[in-house]
Amino acid sequence: MTPEAQQMVQYIVEMIRKPGVTVEENTPLVSSGLIDSMALVDLLTKLEDLTHLRIPAGKVQPKDMDTVAKMFATAQRVGKPRK
Amino acid sequence: MIRPNNLIVALDAAPANRPFITYWVDEDERETVTFAEFLSRARRQASVLRENGVSAGERVVIIMPQGISAMTTFVGAMMLGAVPAFLAYPNFKVEPSKYRFGLAGVTANLRAKAVVIDDEFPDEMLGHVALGEEAKLLRVGAGREAGGETAFEPGEIAPENLAFIQHSAGTTGLQKGVALTHGAVLRQIEHLRGVLKINDSTDSIYNWLPLYHDMGLIACFMLPMVCHLPVVMQSPLDWVMQPESTLQIFTECKCTLAWMPNFAFQFVPRRTPQNRWAQYNLSSVRALINCSEPVRASSMQEFHEAFAAIGLKNSALQSSYAMAENVFAVTQSEVDGPSGPAVVWADGQEFRGAHRIVPVPERTAGTVSFTSSGRLLPGQLVRIASNSGAALDDGFVGEILVSGDCLFEGYYNRPDLTQKAIIDGCYYTGDLGFCLNGELFVVGRKKDLLIIGGENIYPQDIEEIVGSHPAIHDGRVIAMGVYNPNLGTEEIIAVAEVEHEEDLAKSREIEGEIRSSVTSGLGVAVRTIFLKPPKWIVKSTAGKPARSTTREKLLREHPELNAEN
Repeated sequence: MTPEAQQMVQYIVEMIRKPGVTVEENTPLVSSGLIDSMALVDLLTKLEDLTHLRIPAGKVQPKDMDTVAKMFATAQRVGKPRK
Repeated sequence: MIRPNNLIVALDAAPANRPFITYWVDEDERETVTFAEFLSRARRQASVLRENGVSAGERVVIIMPQGISAMTTFVGAMMLGAVPAFLAYPNFKVEPSKYRFGLAGVTANLRAKAVVIDDEFPDEMLGHVALGEEAKLLRVGAGREAGGETAFEPGEIAPENLAFIQHSAGTTGLQKGVALTHGAVLRQIEHLRGVLKINDSTDSIYNWLPLYHDMGLIACFMLPMVCHLPVVMQSPLDWVMQPESTLQIFTECKCTLAWMPNFAFQFVPRRTPQNRWAQYNLSSVRALINCSEPVRASSMQEFHEAFAAIGLKNSALQSSYAMAENVFAVTQSEVDGPSGPAVVWADGQEFRGAHRIVPVPERTAGTVSFTSSGRLLPGQLVRIASNSGAALDDGFVGEILVSGDCLFEGYYNRPDLTQKAIIDGCYYTGDLGFCLNGELFVVGRKKDLLIIGGENIYPQDIEEIVGSHPAIHDGRVIAMGVYNPNLGTEEIIAVAEVEHEEDLAKSREIEGEIRSSVTSGLGVAVRTIFLKPPKWIVKSTAGKPARSTTREKLLREHPELNAEN
């Protein structure tokens, strides 16, 4: 896992605040109900911070954010350099 | 200008080359159609529908993602004299079982001739689209709109013909279909054009609201269609995932008008990193209209304080009282004036005990405040009625009854519901409010009102106090009344989510603190405060706490509260 992915995992663990839940790079988050849609806003913002990219929501489906690995792949695919 | 007698004639008169809908994906990707292109695509949709046997008066259900094709299909159906209705498109936020339930009920009631879906519509949902014997399922993708001009002559449509059915907002799947005529919709738009002081060469609209709700459908689709204004349209889902795009779109597209529900006025500033605010400019905004009941002064203030530095005018934040049953707006605050809507401060005891507004100086102890929803639109009439139905004077709180030239014909196929809702030409809104100085103030929903020992308590007021405790997750609070047969009155119960699960260990302490702040703020006692872990409260499709579903969940988990049953 890259340091950025690790930071994201840490962020998600703090966000879901469920004792005993572990999050790996491939843990389903949205489809498993660990994360709700309002929280996707925060994840998208965090992902922008970690990747230094601008990620337009219009190009991102919730399924693209389902795991930490998919988030970073999505950022690579649709992210744009910050102006 | 000649008054058009139906919506299609009004659209036909638009300047051909003026941009109509811009569908915004992001700063580098968007699709714009002019009025002429929109018309041509709508005609093709009309032809497809006609080839599939749809004719005048028949219902067409449209279940498509927010976008230009959904809109051209809607207009295409109207061109045939058919009666379209948008229904919510399934998305990951909606529980599939709940969505299916809602869809089956609504489609059965409409007895649609055609149900139009897009190519991506999930197959597992199809079984729950209740198709009548004669209904056809059509997949009308954007591909069908390509190609040359179709020869298509719209039929005659009279003002008293039904234009479409819009569904009242609801989270239960038992949404009611509000049937509206061309005439009523056109009258509403004529009034809006006047009170919003619309200038058809300089105004433009920004919209992320779903088209199956009145704010999206009337204010952001029918109004610009008839007044020939450009609209920048975004998917509600994209907006929820990136509320910052509100700032981006106003900055780039310089839209002048938008409508938002109350929670969005907090959501946008809270979910946009503060270090990015300065990149944006909101000076183009002429009116950003809060269409909730009630309008919360604190939410408007939060938005204004956040963005005044980037050009948001003092007068830009406005309010309106609107509902699907009246096509849309009943009142509108004064746009382009010196400030936003009026705020009145009143004695809290008089308000709760005597249901009366006694104005007091601003922010003194024990006062309550209300934000005006503005003055009546022309042709509209509001009466405030007591529980016994007697008309109340200015300054007294009662149910808001609406009548006028925009009122709906009834709930489609539901004479039982219509009879209860419209009595002697007045629509009983179920909202509580009062009139003062010629303006309407909306206080809350009648069914949410708690009557505690003869005093009227509004759950929102309790929720605001409970939610301000630092251990409570802001906005995740529901207050409700539960009848106590021993006392012969309702008692207040509150359920709230703690910010961190560990806080539950300190429940007793937190409860005590909350209890004393409610008592000192409102002068009433809360019987029990249930503290729950994060994500316990049930949320509606809009992401807001769902009052009745949460109540059911609480009563299920705590059967000791069920004395009322």
